Amino acid sequence: MFRRMIVIAAFLALVVMPVWGQVIPRDTLVVGMDLGIIVDLDPARVYETTTNLVIEQLYDNLVDFEGTFDVAKPALAERWEASSDGLTWTFHIRQGVKFHSGNEVTADAVVFSFTRALALDFAPIWMLDQYVPSAENVQKVDDYTVAITFTAPLSEGLMTAVMGVQGICAVIDPSVVEENKTADDPWANKWLQFHDAGSGPYELIEWSPNDRVVMEGFDNYWDGAPKTKNLIFLDIPERAQQRVALENGTIDLAWNLLPEAIDEFRDREGFDVVEVAGWAITYLCMNVGQEPFGNPLVRKAIKYAIDYDAIINGIMRGGAVMGQTFIPTGIPGHLDATPYHKDVERAKDLLTQAGYPDGFSTQIICQPTSPRRDIAIQIQQDLAEVGIEAEITQLISAQLYTLYRAQSHKLLVGGWGVDYSHGDSLVKPFAHCCSTGSDAPVRQLAWRNMYSNCDLTALVDATESELDEAKKIEMYKEIQQTILDDGPFAITHYPLNQYAVPEYLKGFVPMNSDSYPEFCGVYKE
Amino acid sequence: MIAYIVRRIVWMVFVIFGVLTLTFFIARVIPADPVAAVLPSNAPDEALEKMRVEMGLDRPIWVQYSRYISGILHGDFGISIRTRQPVLEDLLRYFPATAELALVSLIMGTAIGLTLGVISAVRQGKFSDHAGRIFAIWGLSMPAFFTGLMLIILFSHILHWFPQLGQMPAYLRRPPKVSGFLIFDTMIAGNWSLVLTELRHLVLPAFTLGWLSTAAVVRITRSSMLEVLPEEYIKTARMKGLRESRVVIKHALKNAMLPTITVIGLRVASLLEGAVLTETVFSWPGLGRYGVSSFLSVDFPAVVGVTIFIAFLYSFCNLAVDLLYGYLNPKIRYT
Repeated sequence: MFRRMIVIAAFLALVVMPVWGQVIPRDTLVVGMDLGIIVDLDPARVYETTTNLVIEQLYDNLVDFEGTFDVAKPALAERWEASSDGLTWTFHIRQGVKFHSGNEVTADAVVFSFTRALALDFAPIWMLDQYVPSAENVQKVDDYTVAITFTAPLSEGLMTAVMGVQGICAVIDPSVVEENKTADDPWANKWLQFHDAGSGPYELIEWSPNDRVVMEGFDNYWDGAPKTKNLIFLDIPERAQQRVALENGTIDLAWNLLPEAIDEFRDREGFDVVEVAGWAITYLCMNVGQEPFGNPLVRKAIKYAIDYDAIINGIMRGGAVMGQTFIPTGIPGHLDATPYHKDVERAKDLLTQAGYPDGFSTQIICQPTSPRRDIAIQIQQDLAEVGIEAEITQLISAQLYTLYRAQSHKLLVGGWGVDYSHGDSLVKPFAHCCSTGSDAPVRQLAWRNMYSNCDLTALVDATESELDEAKKIEMYKEIQQTILDDGPFAITHYPLNQYAVPEYLKGFVPMNSDSYPEFCGVYKE
Repeated sequence: MIAYIVRRIVWMVFVIFGVLTLTFFIARVIPADPVAAVLPSNAPDEALEKMRVEMGLDRPIWVQYSRYISGILHGDFGISIRTRQPVLEDLLRYFPATAELALVSLIMGTAIGLTLGVISAVRQGKFSDHAGRIFAIWGLSMPAFFTGLMLIILFSHILHWFPQLGQMPAYLRRPPKVSGFLIFDTMIAGNWSLVLTELRHLVLPAFTLGWLSTAAVVRITRSSMLEVLPEEYIKTARMKGLRESRVVIKHALKNAMLPTITVIGLRVASLLEGAVLTETVFSWPGLGRYGVSSFLSVDFPAVVGVTIFIAFLYSFCNLAVDLLYGYLNPKIRYT
């Protein structure tokens, strides 16, 4: 018996007790998040929010955004100016800036980086090559000056938004690429999938897929060494688990907490909840090419049938705010208008005027995941109240987007993320469509929903080369108003980016886009 | 014996080829575009088309199939559409974590299952019999994500006995990669305190996964023990004056093990299925999560790769079980 007790005591001492001693060191910041989406860390290829967040820590662009997206701040370029015709922007590179390798950031590196991104021609390149189609558009003027010629005169706001796109506009160390290229892989794409060649505040130590991204502060960072030496993104796919991990000190910050967890942290001592409206718009869209959604009165009736409060306070549990226009809060040009609220009588009147007094039958497509499935169910109930019988079909992304891109849906609950921090990235997808055939130059959301409006498309085209930012913003608002009144989208809400920050953690600034926050100023008190 | 093994291996090749072909065509006839799932919904159609060409998805399906088969014969399982890495590299990257978890949970589940099964049989109808069976069925009935969360809340959050997630604490550096198996690599690096830490990280996920196997092992061990215990040779052993524990373990259990071995062998493949949920709950970087992400994005090179891998393991375990029979019961002849 005595021997057994000794064995049990030894077991407890070895296995159980030391767990109490496991505390994250002060010079290490551990952020729990779902990293499953990360499949590649080559800046030329990254396109997802979480991957971009990693890239933000490792690489620098010519310009950057801090806190808000109103005005870009200088990054590798300390200043820039436009030619008189607005077509060419000249960037003056900050001198003495080092890559992680110790090499200096020069105009050659900038030219090389754009040349590489354009040559690799991966999926996100459209954000750059729509305005900078060829490497010849990027010219070295001298060792610290680069001139970029755009296909259209761009306002400063639009130009900086494009140059601020993470990944494809990041500046890469040419020597490192040179050292690691192979005959089959002249741009060292394979090597850069798991390594970095940047000049950002952190260096990549290790990316272990579905496990962690380990980064170490770069002491020679041009803007000062990061306040916390080690930064680790830890993969915690379960959002409920992130909460437990935050509570028991396994992590310092959770990136994807559920709104109900945020609610609990709100009243808890030792935590501050910070939140800001996010850019992941959720909407119900109606295919105008499918009857009866071609009738604007039917579209309006549906917009009045939806119970937006139930979605925001019930399904999203307060983790969202009312928003009905497609340029979300935080992007210059946002139209602050929310005219639609649940009004069954009005919706029925509109349906009667449209010639559907007894409603009709239709189909809602959605993904089988929360919250979109729950939103579809809510909308199904709301439509039933006005006489529209909607059957829900749940499809995985691979099936749903195949149908959507083929214009084969009727109603669909979908979402949209902002590609770059300017209205330009939204007016085209949401409002540019003058032909519903395959000849259309932009085949995005308006096209997928077969909402053809040539006057509106002309207005969208005109915004592109409008150099006066104030006029451009007015045009964006006019486009949003038209889509709000007549368009095929019922935007249900803007989600909030919410974080429960422990009191000991200082310097964390949430942003509308959760791929832009920088961790170099975050520290533990 | 050798001829038997060779014949079984030939059959195994046929089975795997059949699984491969079936999975390939099922994955390809689904009306879903893997590229549409992999690229963000914002991506323009041109970007999708570019990727389809890059991945060879624009070719007729029989061309894709013949290329795939020819690749496999050369050890090339294709490129994953989602991760853009060679599938074999992906499988080898994720498999060690799952293997460590599955092995430890198999040992845990079997040890607990055998113990409870024997106790239940020896004390048939008594409290410990009922308690053991309830424990086992409880494990089988509860989904792994629920069990996992409950265990985490109790043992990690409240009692602070075991760590909550991952293979090791986030703030410690992984040892240099040699075998890919974290614990082995840590041993090779000579970092014994980290080995201990990693073992502690294994306890909760391995128990969660192992609990699933416990029920089957308990039931089968109990019933075969009940068949064996009244046998004459057991009575003889007792009459010889052997200790009861020796009678039960050496004489009864060894003979009752045959069906249990079959169940354990089949559980290996089920462990890989169970690993999907367990790995998600415990943030374990294994094959289960890789498989699910691949299935959801209809990443068919990865789907087929994972399926072949599991089919191979399944066939291999079956063969191993059959060969183990001969060791446990020398009367069995392989023809």
